[in-house]
Amino acid sequence: MKSDDPVTRETVERLCALADLPLAPERRARLVPMLSGLIAAANELNRKMAAAAYRSILPILRFPER
Amino acid sequence: MAQGNLLDLTIIEAAAQLEGRRLSPVELTEAMLQRIASVDKQIRAYITVCDAQAREVARAAERMIQAGYYLGPLHGIPVALKDNIYTRDVRTTAGSKILADFVPAEDATVAARLKRAGAIIIGKTNMHEFAWGGTTDNPHHGTCRNPWNPERFPAGSSGGSGAAVAARTCLGALGTDTGGSIRLPSSVNGIVGIRPTIGRVSNYNVVPLAWTMDTVSPMTRTVEDCVVMFEIIAGYDPFDDHSAQVPLADYRAELARPVRGLRVGLIRDYSLSHLQKAVGDAVRGALKTLEGLGAQVEEIAMPSIHGNISAQLTIESCEPSAYHQEWLRTRAADYGEDVRTLLESGEMYLATHYIQAQRYRSLLRKEFLEGFKRVDVFVTPTLPFTATPCGATEVVIEGNRKEDMLSAIMQFTGVPSLAGLPALSLPVGFDPDGLPVGMQVIGRPFDEGLLFGVGHAYQRVTDWHTRSPRL
Repeated sequence: MKSDDPVTRETVERLCALADLPLAPERRARLVPMLSGLIAAANELNRKMAAAAYRSILPILRFPER
Repeated sequence: MAQGNLLDLTIIEAAAQLEGRRLSPVELTEAMLQRIASVDKQIRAYITVCDAQAREVARAAERMIQAGYYLGPLHGIPVALKDNIYTRDVRTTAGSKILADFVPAEDATVAARLKRAGAIIIGKTNMHEFAWGGTTDNPHHGTCRNPWNPERFPAGSSGGSGAAVAARTCLGALGTDTGGSIRLPSSVNGIVGIRPTIGRVSNYNVVPLAWTMDTVSPMTRTVEDCVVMFEIIAGYDPFDDHSAQVPLADYRAELARPVRGLRVGLIRDYSLSHLQKAVGDAVRGALKTLEGLGAQVEEIAMPSIHGNISAQLTIESCEPSAYHQEWLRTRAADYGEDVRTLLESGEMYLATHYIQAQRYRSLLRKEFLEGFKRVDVFVTPTLPFTATPCGATEVVIEGNRKEDMLSAIMQFTGVPSLAGLPALSLPVGFDPDGLPVGMQVIGRPFDEGLLFGVGHAYQRVTDWHTRSPRL
């Protein structure tokens, strides 16, 4: 685990508590490396989409019929 | 007719013989059931074979056709359905242990429409558990294998449908596609598959993976056959809240659309980047063929194309985890290890991650719609590599660098899924090991007809789709 990874055992433990998802310690541990990569990429996308240039962009939940 | 010849018939060819009463639905169904019996122990494309029901329906079809009641080109044609599509009185497992004994009381809309057209449901196909994965390495119903080389994977999640069509155990199949689950197995099994525009084909009574990205559609050996199935299942369905009230095209007429003057777009630094060499060679060859037919190829910049994999993984993580929330707390041990881990991880995202991913889809779609002012279709490979060994979780695309399979496999197919665009995969060659390569053609919203026209024009001058795996 690198020091700048966004996800640690402690953060997974906290997220599981917030989600009311009781996971055994070994299951929480195996989520850490996988989630580190996924959340780092999701944070990068967050930074891109939070930029002023994109403030008018709405989320898609249903596609227009055109 | 000899059984070998029957197995090689396309839907169009078989339909002509059935209509002319030179072939019986019973004879055709028996040939398929025998083929399943002889090859499916190895391939594991089916979870359930509906042999008794298929024989009964085939006999009824035979009587109807003999009496002059021919319903059309699917009447008497044996087809298979992915096992997340509800079939009345036939168990629908979604490839899971959790739904192992689930027998729906009604059909999915697509199943009902196929039945009304006279199709014979010969079986329910193997799939990645709950469609959440791209390998069809199924811990509950067996590892599905690629008919071109049973040591290799059939991709997924509709791997069983892809392998069943390629192995000549049915004439066509339905799959479901969220981030690539029809196009990926179509590519590695050397067949045709289309992801429709979201809303074009009903998702009613189909076990969901990710509600905002899920679609259902056919997988066949030829583009013409794909049209025969598509025109039956497409169209508005009042039972599906996401169904679109957009008029259908005359898809068979669209097959004759000329390619001359077609403008084909390549996305700069993306369409032909980060690929295995054989994949790039085959797709470049297909582009040359289209140019020979009069198409013009040009590069288009799409600044936001990178970021697609993260957006897809975020949405495909969060939405399934919402659907599976109760089972993950009450029946966690009944999931396969890979799906269980993905479902657990999907609960760890923040709401802002999910919403920004959905906003990214809007941005990507805007860039595509802008690009469609300059070109008629975009082309990419369907996936950047050919079939990997069964059980592999990593893949080498360039150099010696191993990449995570789940991210690598969605390099190209995730983009139209996110942007809500239709995309056709069709076979365009083979690698030096004899494994098929597929090309993806992406179209404007609701313009599936043009994709069929381009694909059919290509298949008229090439023979990749006529080759059979040796089983």
